[in-house]
Amino acid sequence: MVIVLKKGACFKRLLSAVGVIVIGGVAFLYSGLYPVGADDPHYDVTTWALETLRESSIARASLSVDVPPDLSSAERLLKGGADYNDMCAGCHLKPGESESDFTLGLYPSPPNLVAIPRTDADKKSEDQRSFWIIKHGIKASGMPAWAPRHDDERIWNMVAFLKRLPDLTSAQYQIITARGTNKTGHH
Amino acid sequence: MKKKFSVLVAVPALILAFSAQAHDEKEHMKTAESPDCAAMSGMDHSKMDMNDPVVMAMMTQCMSTVEHGEEESDAASHAHSHSDHMTGAGKAGESSQ
Repeated sequence: MVIVLKKGACFKRLLSAVGVIVIGGVAFLYSGLYPVGADDPHYDVTTWALETLRESSIARASLSVDVPPDLSSAERLLKGGADYNDMCAGCHLKPGESESDFTLGLYPSPPNLVAIPRTDADKKSEDQRSFWIIKHGIKASGMPAWAPRHDDERIWNMVAFLKRLPDLTSAQYQIITARGTNKTGHH
Repeated sequence: MKKKFSVLVAVPALILAFSAQAHDEKEHMKTAESPDCAAMSGMDHSKMDMNDPVVMAMMTQCMSTVEHGEEESDAASHAHSHSDHMTGAGKAGESSQ
Protein backbone atom coordinates (compact mmCIF):
# COMPACT_ATOMS: atom_id res chain seq x y z
CA MET A 1 0.00 0.00 0.00
CA VAL A 2 2.83 2.37 0.87
CA ILE A 3 4.63 1.43 -2.32
CA VAL A 4 1.50 2.17 -4.39
CA LEU A 5 1.17 5.59 -2.71
CA LYS A 6 4.83 6.33 -3.36
CA LYS A 7 4.47 5.32 -7.00
CA GLY A 8 1.42 7.60 -7.33
CA ALA A 9 3.26 10.54 -5.76
CA CYS A 10 6.26 9.93 -7.96
CA PHE A 11 4.07 9.90 -11.09
CA LYS A 12 2.40 13.17 -10.01
CA ARG A 13 5.78 14.81 -9.48
CA LEU A 14 7.00 13.61 -12.89
CA LEU A 15 3.82 14.90 -14.53
CA SER A 16 4.24 18.26 -12.77
CA ALA A 17 7.86 18.49 -13.90
CA VAL A 18 6.88 17.75 -17.51
CA GLY A 19 4.09 20.34 -17.26
CA VAL A 20 6.47 22.97 -15.93
CA ILE A 21 8.99 22.21 -18.72
CA VAL A 22 6.30 22.43 -21.44
CA ILE A 23 4.83 25.66 -20.05
CA GLY A 24 8.32 27.09 -19.58
CA GLY A 25 9.25 26.12 -23.15
CA VAL A 26 6.12 27.74 -24.60
CA ALA A 27 6.72 30.86 -22.49
CA PHE A 28 10.30 31.00 -23.81
CA LEU A 29 9.07 30.73 -27.42
CA TYR A 30 6.79 33.72 -26.93
CA SER A 31 9.26 35.71 -24.79
CA GLY A 32 11.44 36.73 -27.75
CA LEU A 33 14.54 36.09 -25.68
CA TYR A 34 16.15 33.66 -28.15
CA PRO A 35 18.63 35.48 -30.45
CA VAL A 36 17.83 34.62 -34.10
CA GLY A 37 20.34 36.95 -35.76
CA ALA A 38 22.59 35.25 -38.33
CA ASP A 39 25.54 37.08 -36.79
CA ASP A 40 24.98 35.46 -33.39
CA PRO A 41 26.35 31.89 -33.64
CA HIS A 42 24.98 28.83 -31.86
CA TYR A 43 26.65 27.28 -28.84
CA ASP A 44 29.08 24.54 -29.85
CA VAL A 45 26.76 21.87 -28.54
CA THR A 46 23.84 23.23 -30.60
CA THR A 47 26.02 23.32 -33.72
CA TRP A 48 27.12 19.74 -33.08
CA ALA A 49 23.53 18.59 -32.56
CA LEU A 50 22.25 20.32 -35.70
CA GLU A 51 25.12 19.10 -37.88
CA THR A 52 24.75 15.55 -36.60
CA LEU A 53 21.02 15.70 -37.27
CA ARG A 54 21.61 17.10 -40.76
CA GLU A 55 24.29 14.62 -41.82
CA SER A 56 22.43 11.61 -40.45
CA SER A 57 19.23 12.68 -42.15
CA ILE A 58 20.91 13.28 -45.54
CA ALA A 59 22.84 10.00 -45.36
CA ARG A 60 19.64 8.08 -44.68
CA ALA A 61 17.49 9.90 -47.23
CA SER A 62 20.03 9.71 -50.05
CA LEU A 63 20.74 5.99 -49.70
CA SER A 64 18.17 5.02 -52.34
CA VAL A 65 19.37 7.54 -54.97
CA ASP A 66 20.55 5.82 -58.17
CA VAL A 67 23.74 7.36 -59.56
CA PRO A 68 23.96 7.51 -63.38
CA PRO A 69 27.09 5.91 -64.85
CA ASP A 70 28.17 8.78 -67.11
CA LEU A 71 28.89 11.51 -64.54
CA SER A 72 32.35 12.14 -65.95
CA SER A 73 31.17 13.14 -69.45
CA ALA A 74 32.26 16.46 -70.95
CA GLU A 75 28.67 17.24 -71.94
CA ARG A 76 27.52 17.01 -68.32
CA LEU A 77 30.43 19.22 -67.24
CA LEU A 78 29.40 21.93 -69.69
CA LYS A 79 25.71 21.87 -68.80
CA GLY A 80 26.31 21.56 -65.06
CA GLY A 81 29.05 24.18 -65.07
CA ALA A 82 26.87 26.84 -66.62
CA ASP A 83 24.12 26.17 -64.08
CA TYR A 84 26.61 26.14 -61.18
CA ASN A 85 27.94 29.52 -62.26
CA ASP A 86 24.47 31.04 -62.46
CA MET A 87 22.84 29.39 -59.46
CA CYS A 88 25.52 28.32 -56.96
CA ALA A 89 28.76 30.29 -57.34
CA GLY A 90 27.43 33.31 -55.41
CA CYS A 91 27.32 31.25 -52.22
CA HIS A 92 29.70 28.34 -52.94
CA LEU A 93 32.34 30.42 -54.78
CA LYS A 94 34.43 29.83 -57.89
CA PRO A 95 38.20 29.29 -58.39
CA GLY A 96 40.15 32.38 -57.35
CA GLU A 97 37.55 33.56 -54.82
CA SER A 98 37.80 33.10 -51.07
CA GLU A 99 34.65 34.87 -49.88
CA SER A 100 31.49 36.68 -50.97
CA ASP A 101 28.74 38.62 -49.22
CA PHE A 102 26.84 35.36 -48.88
CA THR A 103 29.71 33.35 -47.36
CA LEU A 104 30.31 36.16 -44.88
CA GLY A 105 26.68 36.81 -44.03
CA LEU A 106 24.83 33.51 -44.17
CA TYR A 107 24.63 31.32 -41.09
CA PRO A 108 25.58 28.56 -41.30
CA SER A 109 28.15 29.76 -43.83
CA PRO A 110 27.76 27.93 -47.16
CA PRO A 111 30.68 25.56 -47.82
CA ASN A 112 33.35 26.66 -50.27
CA LEU A 113 32.94 23.86 -52.82
CA VAL A 114 36.13 24.86 -54.63
CA ALA A 115 38.23 24.20 -51.55
CA ILE A 116 36.68 20.89 -50.57
CA PRO A 117 38.79 18.19 -52.21
CA ARG A 118 36.90 15.05 -53.18
CA THR A 119 38.55 12.29 -51.20
CA ASP A 120 37.36 9.74 -53.70
CA ALA A 121 35.95 11.12 -56.92
CA ASP A 122 34.05 7.91 -57.62
CA LYS A 123 32.57 7.51 -54.16
CA LYS A 124 28.89 6.73 -54.69
CA SER A 125 27.69 8.15 -51.38
CA GLU A 126 29.25 11.55 -52.16
CA ASP A 127 27.34 11.73 -55.43
CA GLN A 128 24.10 10.59 -53.78
CA ARG A 129 24.58 13.21 -51.06
CA SER A 130 25.30 16.04 -53.51
CA PHE A 131 22.29 15.12 -55.64
CA TRP A 132 19.94 14.92 -52.68
CA ILE A 133 21.07 18.26 -51.23
CA ILE A 134 20.70 20.09 -54.56
CA LYS A 135 17.32 18.52 -55.21
CA HIS A 136 15.77 18.90 -51.76
CA GLY A 137 17.73 21.72 -50.13
CA ILE A 138 18.34 22.01 -46.39
CA LYS A 139 15.89 23.61 -43.96
CA ALA A 140 16.85 26.92 -42.34
CA SER A 141 20.27 26.98 -43.97
CA GLY A 142 19.76 29.15 -47.04
CA MET A 143 20.16 26.11 -49.33
CA PRO A 144 17.07 25.97 -51.56
CA ALA A 145 15.46 22.88 -53.07
CA TRP A 146 16.08 23.13 -56.81
CA ALA A 147 13.68 20.29 -57.68
CA PRO A 148 10.58 22.41 -58.37
CA ARG A 149 11.98 23.87 -61.61
CA HIS A 150 14.91 21.54 -62.40
CA ASP A 151 14.61 17.92 -63.49
CA ASP A 152 16.87 15.15 -62.16
CA GLU A 153 19.03 15.11 -65.27
CA ARG A 154 19.88 18.78 -64.82
CA ILE A 155 20.72 18.23 -61.16
CA TRP A 156 23.00 15.32 -62.06
CA ASN A 157 24.83 17.62 -64.47
CA MET A 158 25.58 19.91 -61.53
CA VAL A 159 26.77 16.93 -59.47
CA ALA A 160 29.08 15.99 -62.35
CA PHE A 161 30.51 19.50 -62.38
CA LEU A 162 30.99 19.54 -58.59
CA LYS A 163 33.16 16.43 -58.84
CA ARG A 164 35.70 18.32 -60.96
CA LEU A 165 35.30 21.82 -59.54
CA PRO A 166 38.18 21.64 -57.01
CA ASP A 167 40.60 20.70 -59.83
CA LEU A 168 39.75 23.66 -62.07
CA THR A 169 41.85 26.79 -62.55
CA SER A 170 40.13 30.17 -62.94
CA ALA A 171 40.70 30.08 -66.71
CA GLN A 172 39.31 26.55 -67.08
CA TYR A 173 36.31 27.47 -64.92
CA GLN A 174 35.57 30.55 -67.04
CA ILE A 175 35.69 28.62 -70.32
CA ILE A 176 33.60 25.68 -69.11
CA THR A 177 30.91 27.71 -67.35
CA ALA A 178 30.41 30.43 -69.98
CA ARG A 179 26.99 30.25 -71.60
CA GLY A 180 27.56 32.92 -74.20
CA THR A 181 29.01 32.67 -77.67
CA ASN A 182 32.78 32.83 -77.90
CA LYS A 183 34.58 35.80 -79.36
CA THR A 184 34.34 34.53 -82.92
CA GLY A 185 30.60 34.79 -82.64
CA HIS A 186 30.02 31.04 -82.58
CA HIS A 187 29.18 28.77 -79.68
CA MET B 1 -22.31 23.61 -69.99
CA LYS B 2 -20.45 23.06 -66.77
CA LYS B 3 -18.17 20.55 -68.51
CA LYS B 4 -17.36 23.00 -71.27
CA PHE B 5 -16.59 25.69 -68.74
CA SER B 6 -14.29 23.41 -66.73
CA VAL B 7 -12.44 22.43 -69.91
CA LEU B 8 -12.09 26.10 -70.83
CA VAL B 9 -10.56 26.78 -67.42
CA ALA B 10 -8.49 23.60 -67.11
CA VAL B 11 -6.74 23.67 -70.50
CA PRO B 12 -5.22 27.17 -70.20
CA ALA B 13 -4.33 26.44 -66.55
CA LEU B 14 -2.50 23.24 -67.57
CA ILE B 15 -0.67 25.00 -70.40
CA LEU B 16 0.41 27.74 -67.98
CA ALA B 17 1.51 25.21 -65.38
CA PHE B 18 3.62 23.17 -67.83
CA SER B 19 5.23 26.25 -69.32
CA ALA B 20 6.28 27.41 -65.86
CA GLN B 21 7.70 24.04 -64.78
CA ALA B 22 11.15 24.15 -66.26
CA HIS B 23 13.70 26.71 -65.23
CA ASP B 24 14.71 27.76 -68.72
CA GLU B 25 18.46 28.13 -69.38
CA LYS B 26 17.58 30.96 -71.76
CA GLU B 27 16.75 33.06 -68.70
CA HIS B 28 20.47 33.26 -68.04
CA MET B 29 21.45 34.15 -71.59
CA LYS B 30 20.89 37.89 -71.07
CA THR B 31 23.86 38.07 -68.71
CA ALA B 32 25.83 35.25 -70.31
CA GLU B 33 29.62 35.57 -70.50
CA SER B 34 31.58 34.44 -73.52
CA PRO B 35 34.25 31.77 -73.02
CA ASP B 36 37.70 33.33 -72.94
CA CYS B 37 39.18 30.95 -75.48
CA ALA B 38 42.29 33.10 -75.85
CA ALA B 39 43.28 31.83 -72.38
CA MET B 40 43.57 28.34 -73.85
CA SER B 41 46.50 29.41 -75.99
CA GLY B 42 48.42 30.24 -72.80
CA MET B 43 47.93 26.72 -71.46
CA ASP B 44 50.57 24.04 -71.86
CA HIS B 45 48.95 21.79 -74.46
CA SER B 46 51.64 19.13 -74.08
CA LYS B 47 50.49 18.52 -70.52
CA MET B 48 46.82 18.31 -71.50
CA ASP B 49 45.19 14.91 -71.46
CA MET B 50 42.87 14.99 -74.46
CA ASN B 51 40.75 12.25 -72.88
CA ASP B 52 40.16 14.31 -69.74
CA PRO B 53 36.51 15.51 -69.72
CA VAL B 54 37.66 18.98 -68.56
CA VAL B 55 39.92 19.35 -71.61
CA MET B 56 37.22 17.89 -73.85
CA ALA B 57 34.69 20.37 -72.45
CA MET B 58 37.04 23.29 -73.06
CA MET B 59 37.72 22.08 -76.59
CA THR B 60 33.98 21.88 -77.23
CA GLN B 61 33.50 25.43 -75.95
CA CYS B 62 36.37 26.78 -78.03
CA MET B 63 36.03 24.48 -81.04
CA SER B 64 34.68 27.25 -83.23
CA THR B 65 37.54 29.51 -82.19
CA VAL B 66 40.06 26.83 -83.12
CA GLU B 67 38.24 26.18 -86.39
CA HIS B 68 37.91 29.90 -86.99
CA GLY B 69 41.62 30.31 -86.25
CA GLU B 70 42.45 27.53 -88.69
CA GLU B 71 40.12 29.05 -91.26
CA GLU B 72 41.76 32.41 -90.74
CA SER B 73 45.24 30.98 -91.06
CA ASP B 74 44.15 29.01 -94.15
CA ALA B 75 42.55 32.11 -95.56
CA ALA B 76 45.62 34.14 -94.73
CA SER B 77 47.97 31.64 -96.39
CA HIS B 78 45.56 31.33 -99.32
CA ALA B 79 45.37 35.10 -99.60
CA HIS B 80 49.13 35.24 -99.30
CA SER B 81 49.65 32.73 -102.10
CA HIS B 82 46.87 34.38 -104.05
CA SER B 83 48.53 37.77 -103.66
CA ASP B 84 51.83 36.17 -104.65
CA HIS B 85 50.07 34.77 -107.66
CA MET B 86 48.49 38.13 -108.36
CA THR B 87 51.77 39.84 -107.83
CA GLY B 88 53.31 37.30 -110.12
CA ALA B 89 50.53 37.89 -112.64
CA GLY B 90 50.99 41.58 -112.28
CA LYS B 91 54.62 41.18 -112.86
CA ALA B 92 53.84 38.92 -115.73
CA GLY B 93 51.36 41.51 -116.92
CA GLU B 94 53.94 44.18 -116.45
CA SER B 95 56.46 42.12 -118.26
CA SER B 96 54.03 41.54 -121.11
CA GLN B 97 53.53 45.22 -121.56
